[in-house]
Amino acid sequence: MKAAAASLIVLALLIGVIPQFTDCQSQGKAIQLPNGKTLPMKCHWTARAEIAVAVPLLLSGILLISCRHRESRRNAALMTIVSGLLGILLPTVLIGVCAKPDMPCYALMKPTLVLAGSLVVALGAGCFIRAVRQRDANP
Amino acid sequence: MNVPRLIHRNVTRNPFRSGVVFSCAFLLAALPFAVTFITEGGRASLQRVLGRLGADLLIVPEGAEVKVETALLMGKPAPVWMPRENLDKIARMPEVARLSPQVHLATLAGASCCSASEMFIVVYEPDTDFTLRPWLDQHLGRELGPGEVIGGSQVFLPNPKANILVYGSPVSLKGNLARSGTGLDQTLFMTSETAREVARMSKTRAEQELVVPTNQISAILVKLQPGTLPERVAARIAREVSGVTVIQSPALFQATRRELTGLMRIIFVILTLVWLLSVTVAGLIFSLAAHERRRELGVLRALGSSRAFVFRLLLAEAAALAFAGAAGGIALCLTLAFCFQEAIVFLLKIPFLFPPPLLLAALVLGGLLVALLSVVLAALVPIWRISRMEPAQAMRE
Repeated sequence: MKAAAASLIVLALLIGVIPQFTDCQSQGKAIQLPNGKTLPMKCHWTARAEIAVAVPLLLSGILLISCRHRESRRNAALMTIVSGLLGILLPTVLIGVCAKPDMPCYALMKPTLVLAGSLVVALGAGCFIRAVRQRDANP
Repeated sequence: MNVPRLIHRNVTRNPFRSGVVFSCAFLLAALPFAVTFITEGGRASLQRVLGRLGADLLIVPEGAEVKVETALLMGKPAPVWMPRENLDKIARMPEVARLSPQVHLATLAGASCCSASEMFIVVYEPDTDFTLRPWLDQHLGRELGPGEVIGGSQVFLPNPKANILVYGSPVSLKGNLARSGTGLDQTLFMTSETAREVARMSKTRAEQELVVPTNQISAILVKLQPGTLPERVAARIAREVSGVTVIQSPALFQATRRELTGLMRIIFVILTLVWLLSVTVAGLIFSLAAHERRRELGVLRALGSSRAFVFRLLLAEAAALAFAGAAGGIALCLTLAFCFQEAIVFLLKIPFLFPPPLLLAALVLGGLLVALLSVVLAALVPIWRISRMEPAQAMRE
């Protein structure tokens, strides 16, 4: 459980940090308006939203390490699964990334988040099963 | 206690030792697999592009071969021009069965009149074309009409009913070609009629006028008569038509092939060093393990186990660890390659396509075998020595 929780903390950091350096805005790319102003591309908002996924995920990891109660671990694992799913859905369905495959957000950010999110869901499911099986005598 | 259970307990009892052997097998399988997988993926991609072109010769303006290859491989538009009269000169040659001209264009960068910025556009002539013909026959069953286009596998519209804007003119996407792992996946294909119409309308609709010269073309694809030697025709064209470079189909993308081969050579040296290091470490770990487990194995022998049984048990332990490490390494490589295939193409600047299933299976098996044989080979001597030891001697020492 501790190894899984430690992995979750690392994954939470990856989910929170990597998008900030692989979105188009960080590479100096933006939508140019006819009046000369620039707008961030949608991958920028995905990157920002991933911070909101990473923080609860980080807390879940810490909870899974520090809490010994079955219910707490079970709930933290559930929160982990939901965070992982959101981590996948943000760049794929909910907000998305730029459409061109040569954009860094499409080539790097999206697959990294999908991969990390899948690992989070798998680890969360593992932790949930272990928490459910955890004996009451050893809460 | 049966043998698999005994192996499982021995492996899990010493996680550090097992972890080191697992890591060695992981590296032994993952590194050569990753390198051959990427180079074979590159070759598969080039092969698909060549197959799609379907030409024996590609004729481009003199000195523009790298530009055209880059345009085809990376989808970076590079309009190059040569006189259209070259087409007639080559068509008169008896060795030529079919030939088709192409015009290479590009959309404007960051302009509101173009849906995609700097998109590579290939303009073909339907009467002579043999590159898109098989796809059109199979998928559309007719020619492309005015204002209709085909896209590479990554040309799409968020709203399927919408049109793509090219120089202010809406064009309708009629289908997508299969993925090639190159820049052609982001290319738009249109007929010369559509291109002329877009150019005509661009005078009023686009931020910048599209110019499609009527007496200029970018490339000529040539299909030769059966039995004709391509090198002989290439030499004749080079002799009789000035200002052109003839690229024979197998020689196309030579620069990329050389890059892949060069990459393979450099990595081969690194791989050899990693292999030697991993085998040495695995051998060392098994020597230490054999020394540490002398008493335990002596007891096993004293309880009636034969030398052969102890030998097989230790060998199976080594093989199990090697297999697990190798399988883990190959699975990780495959997952990363699957997730980051676009990054391989656009960040490493090499074409990439998943190799055909049979080749992929051979690569996986090869990776597993390399790791398995290497670890077993490294473990063989220490295991053989410990299994030969008399029980009394093993327990006393």
